[in-house]
Parts: sequence; C-alpha cells; structure tokens
Amino acid sequence: MSSTAPPIESVTWFGAALRLTVPALRRLMHNRSFVIGAALVLFVALIAIFADLLAPYDPLRSNFRARFVAPNGEHWFGTDHFGRDLLSRVIYGGRISLSIGFFVVVVTGVAGTTIGALAGYFRRLDNPLMRLMDALMAFPAILLAIVISAVLGASVVNVVIALSIATSPHTARIVRGSVLVVREMEYVEAGRALGASDLRLLFGHVLINALAPLIVRLTYVFAIAILAEAVLSYIGVGPPPPTPTFGNIIAGERDFLETAPWTTIFPGLAIVISVLGLNLLGDGLRDVLDPRMKL
Amino acid sequence: MAHLTRRRLLQAGTAGVAASAAGVPLAASAQTATPKRGGTVTVALVQAPPSLDAQLTSAQVARDINLHMYETLYARDENAGVVPDLAQGAEVSKDGTTYVFALRPGVKFHNGKTMDSKDVVASLERFRKIGLASILLSGVDRMEASGPLEVTVRLKKVQSNFLDTLSSPGTPLAIYPAEEAAKDPKDFKFIGTGPMKFVEYAPDSHATLERFADYVPNPNYTRRDGFAGRKEMFIDRAIFRFMPESGARTAAIKTGEVLINETTDGPTAKQLAGDPNVQVLKLLPFALQIAKFNHSQAPCDDVNFRRAVTACINAEETMEIAFPDIHKLDGGLVYGYSPYYTKAGTELYNQNNQAKAKEFLAKSKYKGETLTFIVDNTRPPTDTATDLKEQLGQIGIKIDIKVADWPTISTLGFKPEGWHFWTHGLGIEPYEGPAKLMSIWANGISQTKDDPNIDKLYADLLAELDMEKRKAIFAQFQQYMYDNAVVIPLGNYGMFQVVSSKVRNFAPYRIPRLWGTWLEA
Amino acid sequence: MWQFIVRRLLISVPVLALVSLMSFAVIWLVPGDPAAVFLDAGATPQQLAQVRHQLGLDEPFHLQMLAWYGRILHGDLGRSILLNRSVAAAIVERLPVTLSLTALALAFAVAMGIVAGLLAAMRHGGWADQSIMVLALVGLSVPEFWFGLMLIFAFAVRLHWFPAGNFVPINVSFAGWWQSMALPAFTLAAVQMGFIARMTRSAMLEVLHQDFIRTADAKGLPWSVVVARHGLPNALVPILTVIGIVTGGLLGGAVVVEQVFSLPGVGRLVIGAVLSRDFPVIQGTLLFVAVIYLLINLTVDVLYAVVDPRVRLE
Repeated sequence: MSSTAPPIESVTWFGAALRLTVPALRRLMHNRSFVIGAALVLFVALIAIFADLLAPYDPLRSNFRARFVAPNGEHWFGTDHFGRDLLSRVIYGGRISLSIGFFVVVVTGVAGTTIGALAGYFRRLDNPLMRLMDALMAFPAILLAIVISAVLGASVVNVVIALSIATSPHTARIVRGSVLVVREMEYVEAGRALGASDLRLLFGHVLINALAPLIVRLTYVFAIAILAEAVLSYIGVGPPPPTPTFGNIIAGERDFLETAPWTTIFPGLAIVISVLGLNLLGDGLRDVLDPRMKL
Repeated sequence: MAHLTRRRLLQAGTAGVAASAAGVPLAASAQTATPKRGGTVTVALVQAPPSLDAQLTSAQVARDINLHMYETLYARDENAGVVPDLAQGAEVSKDGTTYVFALRPGVKFHNGKTMDSKDVVASLERFRKIGLASILLSGVDRMEASGPLEVTVRLKKVQSNFLDTLSSPGTPLAIYPAEEAAKDPKDFKFIGTGPMKFVEYAPDSHATLERFADYVPNPNYTRRDGFAGRKEMFIDRAIFRFMPESGARTAAIKTGEVLINETTDGPTAKQLAGDPNVQVLKLLPFALQIAKFNHSQAPCDDVNFRRAVTACINAEETMEIAFPDIHKLDGGLVYGYSPYYTKAGTELYNQNNQAKAKEFLAKSKYKGETLTFIVDNTRPPTDTATDLKEQLGQIGIKIDIKVADWPTISTLGFKPEGWHFWTHGLGIEPYEGPAKLMSIWANGISQTKDDPNIDKLYADLLAELDMEKRKAIFAQFQQYMYDNAVVIPLGNYGMFQVVSSKVRNFAPYRIPRLWGTWLEA
Repeated sequence: MWQFIVRRLLISVPVLALVSLMSFAVIWLVPGDPAAVFLDAGATPQQLAQVRHQLGLDEPFHLQMLAWYGRILHGDLGRSILLNRSVAAAIVERLPVTLSLTALALAFAVAMGIVAGLLAAMRHGGWADQSIMVLALVGLSVPEFWFGLMLIFAFAVRLHWFPAGNFVPINVSFAGWWQSMALPAFTLAAVQMGFIARMTRSAMLEVLHQDFIRTADAKGLPWSVVVARHGLPNALVPILTVIGIVTGGLLGGAVVVEQVFSLPGVGRLVIGAVLSRDFPVIQGTLLFVAVIYLLINLTVDVLYAVVDPRVRLE
C-alpha cells in the first residue's frame, strides 16, 4: 500500500516528479479505469479542440424554417427551436463546458494548494484559514455556487469563479492534511536546520507529498465543474446565450422536452460521457497514486 | 350636488356587453348546456404570486388568483371597455372634476359584512397611502362617504383616465372591508367581495379558494364579460398550483391532476390537439413584445442609429422563434380590439430592410462598439434577444447579451447606464388603453431620458374628455413612436391554454376565469 | 473521544459566526431587490422606490445588520417579504418535504447501494461485479436535474405511471405522497447510491479476505449466511460513514431536484428566494442550511474518528 509514497530522502521537484511518474505511468497503463477514462477524456477533449473542423454547421446560425428537425442524416442530433444544428452546438458547447472545467481546475488547484499549504505549514495561519474554509463548506457546494453566480451575474468567467470558490475549500483541506504529515518529518527538520527558508522548504519538499491526492482531487473537480455548470444554467445563472454550453443548451430547450426530446437528450449524454471519462480517470489515478483514498 | 349634470356612464357598460357577445363565441356555443354545480378545479400556474393583497402587486400571476377574490368599483369588459362593477354607476360634474358613485346595494364581503361607502373610502384611502400604484390616485383631491351607498371623489383637475384607473386590473383598486383596510398590511386577512374566497396559501405549492356562498352576481348583467359582467360560480373549490416546469404541467394535465394549464408552448399544444381529453385554446393577444432603447446611452441617443435598428428587424422571424405558433404580427401599440387601435406609423413595423438599415447606420454615430442587451432569464425574452443579436449582427452591430433574473434586470433597466437594449413583454398596458400605455414613456421612464413631445401628448390626452379627440392624440403618439424609433415593437404574442374536456364553458382571458365554468363528470 | 467531540464543537463557534456574517452580507452583494417582484414590466422607478421603502430596504447597512443579529440571537429569523409569513414558519412548512425526500432517497440509495455492493463483492471479478461497478460510476456521472427531466419524460409524460409535480403531504395520503415522491427520490438515489455500492464492495472485499470468514466458509456454512452473519456486520462501520457523507450529498442534490419536480421543499425555498431577492428568506435559509450541514459534517467527522483513530491526532 505504501509503495506509492515517494521516497523522501532525495526529494527535489524533478527527482520526485520522475520517481512519481515513471513507475506510476507504467502501472497506470495497466489500470483499466485509467485507460478507458483517458480514452474518453481524450476523445471529448479532441472534439472540443477541433470543434471548428468537426462541427458540420455554424452553431449560432439559426434557420427558422428548419426548426425542430428530428435527428436524420443531415442533422445527426436534429435541430433546436432556432433551427440550429444540435450536433454543432453540442460540439461547441463541449468546448466552453470543458474550458470552464479546465479553468476551475486551474483556479482551484492554485487557490486550494496555496491555502492548504499555508494553513498546514504555518501554524498561525491554520486556524483562521481553515475556519474560513469550514464556513464555506458549511453550505452545500451547489447552493454556494448558485448564490455566488447570482451575486456576480451570469457569464463564463463568473461561473468559473463561483465554482472555484465552491470547490477550493475541500481541496485546501486535502492539501493541508498532506502537508501536516510531512511538515514534522526529519528531512524537513534537517532542511530547516541547514537554513533553508520556509517557502523553499514548503514548495521544494513539502508540497510534493501532497501532489498525488491533489491530482486525484482535481480530476474529480473537473468532473464536478462540468456537472455544476449544467446545474447553474438550468437554474438560470449560467453562461448567457447564444454561446452554447452543455448546460445552457439543455436549459434553453427544456420547454420542448415533450415535443423535441432530442434537444435535451443529446447534450445530457454529452455531459454523462465527459464526466464518466473524468471519473474513470480519477478512479484510475487514485488506485495507482493514492490507494488509501477509498471514495 | 344640484349643479351636477348626469352623464350616464352606464352607457359604456351596455356597449361593452354588446361587443363582447361577438367576442366570445366559445361561451355562446356552450350556453345551451345546463351548468352543474360542485367540484374542484386545479389550475397550473407558472409561478407563485408575490402577494395575495391585490393592492400591493402588479404581477400577472397575482391577478390570476386575486381577481377571483376581489372586485373594484369599475372593471373592464371583454374588450377592456370600462364598465361598473361594485358601483351602479357614477355622475360626473360638467367640469369633469367631481364623481359621485352610487354603490351596488347588498354586496357581501367574505366575512359576512355588507359593503357600504365607508368600506370603499377606506379601501381607496389605503390604496392612496400604500397601494403599489398609489400614483394612480395622485390626482384625487379628496374622497368622502357622502351617503350610506354613495361616495364622492373630487379631483384636483380634469383627468380623462380616472375611470380607466379605477377599473385597472393591473394593480386593482380592490375594495376591502373598512376594518381590514385599517390593519397593518401584514395582518390583512384577504377578504374581498369576489365570487371566491380565500382558504389557504402554501408558498411554492398552491393557493386554495372556495366558492363564496353568499355571492350575489351583479344583477345589471346577464353574461360573463371580461373582469366584470355576471360572475356566477358553479365550481366549489379551486386549487392554484405553482408549477414552473413546463413538462410537469403538461404531464399533470394529461393525467388529470390539473384541469387547467395556464400556458404551454406551441409544439406541445400541437401535440395535445389530438387528445380527446383536453381542449387547446388560444389566448391571443396576451402581450406586446417590445425591445426598448436606452436613450441616455450612445449610440441609442442617436435617432439614425435607432432607425437603422428598426429598419433591420425582421419581427416575423423573432416572433416565430420566441413564440412559436402563438403570435400575431401587429404593429399597433394597443390591442386590435381596442377602440383606440390605429395603424398610424406601422409601415415602419417589421421592415426587414438591411439596405435601408445600413444607410441609416452609416449616418449614425455607431462605431462598431459592442452594445449590451439585457434580458431576464425566461426562455421567450432570451430567445428574442438572441435572435435580435443575430439579425443586427448581419448589418454589423455587435451585441453582448446579459441575462439575469427578473429582479436584477428590471432594477438595471430603470437606470440610465449599463444597458442599450432591453426586451420584455407588455401585457396589461396595451389592454388598459392609451393613457396607461403612454405613461410608460411619459417622463422618460422607459427610455431613461425625457422626451418633451411625448410628455405633451400625454398631458393632452389626460386633459381631453372627448373620446374622438383622444383617439387622434393616441394616433399622433403612435406615429411619433415609429417616426423616431423610440422603441421596437415586435408584435403580439399569446398563450396556449390547455383545459380538460371535463371543464365546460371556459373561455381564455387575461386570467383563467373560473366563474361561469362548470365540471362535467 | 469526548475531548475530540468537544473540540470539534468549539471549532464550530467561529465557523458559525463566519457563516452568519456571510448569510447576511450576501444580500448586499446581489444586484436587484425584491421590490421588483411585486411589479410588472411597465412599472416606474417611483413605484420601485415606494416598495423598497415599504419593505425597509432603504435603511443603511449597519442598521439592518444590527437588527438582523438582534433577531437571530433571539431565535427569530425575520419575516419573508413575499410569502406572507415568518422565515421560520416557511422553513418549518417545507422541512417535511425536504426531509421526507431525503429520507426516501437515502432508503433507496442504501438499499440499492448495499445490495449492489454485496453482489459485486460476492461475484468479485465476474461480469456482475463489473457491470454493477460501471452502473454505479455512470450514476455518479449523470447530472441530477437532467436525469429527473428524463424520468419525467419517460414515466410521467409518456407512460403516465407517476404524476409530475403534484406534491401530496404524507399525512394527507400516503399513496399520494409515495406517488409524488418516488421519481424525485429515485433521481437522487440513483446518483448517490454509487458511493454506497462502491464503499460496500471495497469494505466487503477487505472483510471477506480475513481469516474468520475463511474459517466460517470452511465449516461448510452456506455462503449467503457467511456474508450476512459474519461479513456484513464487520464492514458496517465504513458503510455507515459513507452514508453520512451521502446524506450531505442528498441534501445538496435535493436543492436541484425539488426544482425539477416542483416540490415545495427548503431547496426550492432558497432558490426561489435568491431569484426573487426575498432577502430575509435568503439569509434565514442559508443560515439554517449551514447549521444543518455543519451538524452533518460534525457527525461524519466523529464517525470517521470512531473508524480511524488516527484522525483524532490531527
């Protein structure tokens, strides 16, 4: 079980990364969850990146004489109530939804790591920072995101901010936990005795230990963000039209669920596939990098 | 009192009844069947009402419930004509500043008390003090109970829309018992004179009303007529359920949990049309969709820019997308059935002329900057904004859509900064008539900048007692609105209402009226 | 152990202070106010100002804050602007809906999750195990509101098996309540059962490999008896912990699912309040939800500590 913990005697960023990666990668390639998840995520990501080449139509171009066309050879996913091609909208929607997920991961990664590391390493900061995180975690994350999004106003950037605020506290808690474990270890003590600065120790040595759980957590954050974007759009505080996202396609078409169910089904399936891929990826990473986590 | 000359205002009422007989074929054809008493009707509404105190809200959904419970001195007939309801009629002095109202005798409140002039004065005073549209009574100098069933109102000056105001269903000047009117609004017991009385209110779930057994339908009328007329209740109980999800409302009407669905979309209506268990009815016009310009902000302060926009717009496309199968291309600013309806200026409606638009745009001060289009987060307005953005994009006008909930958008929309375009529907204003409609642009309210021409026309209208002259003033106003592209009228839209076939003699109107309808097993 | 609980409770005091401050301050950050909800599109700024004044929204920040703290310290959450009742009454009215939804969903999730997890563990590596685990993961990857819409479409609109959004309180009619709750509870449970199934499976696998199970097995007891009598009880503690976590998740999910199925619960109360700017309700429900959530988190932490004593050292 402990075989994945990096050997700590010779920790440098590069060495640790290498020691962490090479055997880990080998084991990851034999992990079925990881492989399937990675394939799904890659598939979705490539579609999002090459949306311009792949989308058969302009996702914003309406044609009110071809509204509610059921899926056929010309429009694989049918058309919506503007007569826009749904496949093209889902493809472009993926680009925005995945970008939102990606930026939430970046912001949460930076904010969560910084807060968690500061709280874990500097005793005086621990209490105020973690009580603030506790206060944020005292609200269901989705409720927190809805309220913040309503406060900031609906836009892609504000959705990223709202979701980052909602997902950072938990991430900070995980990082802090890992930092607490290493902080008192001998080699850190030794580094301190040799006159290494706190910041250098923190970023050079301590954080490496938090890397594995952090990577696992951020994969799940990516999945959570895609789901939450859809919820925010559904409630009416998501990214504004006409730019499509997985969530606001569903939100914009939900009046037509009975008559044009494809307009709700396909974007929903797109969410399921993306999130399933990320969850599988996360499971695989967790099995290999951080087997102590059970959920 | 002696110097008063009689002007029979009841006349207007009779005219209204005659007109409505033609207007409601559905009611007429069902008239042959014998009404049955009893039963419970469940009505699906989209939202919950902000208040069941009729004087304190102008929200549409509140009217749906409140106008079953409360009544006003005057009310509107099927075609929005002003007719007496709790009043028998009124005498107006020659100079048009004194109104003496005779009240209908024997009208009962839900608490058993009989209505008299003290109740009326107390209610109107309450409205003047805390009513949402207290400005409606700002022209009143004083009111008094001049007899047990007589109320005298003196106006500060002539106000040609005074009876329009008294009869407005927008924020109804509902008559409450004097003792309820005296209470703090928090403790108000929802007691009125209407054909249904309040039973319970469960927020976010439902409101229940029941038939008021002591209700005496107005003997001056023989048939249902708009918000006035003969309001005879056959149904015992009504449950108004608040169901925001359109699919849930449709499912509920199919299973029979709900007997009336206030509104559904075009495609669903089409699908339900073949179902023998329901009737799909059209309520059109219900509202006038407009897109406003903010005249305080460049380039919307430039008439050439505004003309470019109105020249470009293809209203047909916008209305078809936002209100599929339930719209009418009509450039009039009041509804077609209004006696004030005019075509003045409407050659500039729905132009769809990109060449002309580009010409105006070249002359305007627009320099390619991105403009803000604000809209609330319900589907039809959002679709309207999305389509207008697309259309204006084709002549090179760049637009960013800002969507938020109604409180945010409506607060922002009253401010002179932060937006260029705003689209929403006007439901009750085109119904109530010229004075109400013009008040939206008077004093620069909607365009956020005073327009002396509009203000003058509005003042003229209020001072003019002759109807023909008022019509001319309104036509002038509409012409001015189009010539100067003050606003973009997009057309009328309506609602598909779905009613179980068990419900008989239901006629779509501005609220799902339950009086006059009955249940067949 | 007691020391740990007391310390966690003490930590909650500053957290509560922060939470109450956040709950209050949020209304000063949101644009727009409840006055607008009383008005139609054709309203005037004067009307808006009039309503704001009547609602007391034009008072300065510090006065409103002092008044608010004064009230909540006396246990009074204030009065709703739109609902014609006190915030506490509004919450109490809706609590049964949310609680019964959560309870039913939890019952579904626990029943389905444990059975699925057990089945997977007993058929470890077989196709049953694999398909159960895939299903559990798919469940975790589905947006609740979308799944709810799909269920409405299939079971209410097309098949008419269930009503869609006609809530019946349990004390009025049990059958009616069951009809109105089955779909929403299943929606919630389908998502959350994945956690329980996965935890049950891994806890069982760990237990089943231990010696006493092998002994019991060797004694010739039927496998189902071994699992039920010896396996499951020993795997119960981690399963209980995950149920605690899932309860928190269900409450969060209920916020959205109540919206989809038009259920008059606390979640719809708070979302409706946010969208209509019913400030006292926003503040009151946020505070209320936070306190409940804190309690659940506390319970989970304590359960964790019971399971894994190392946590207490933290």
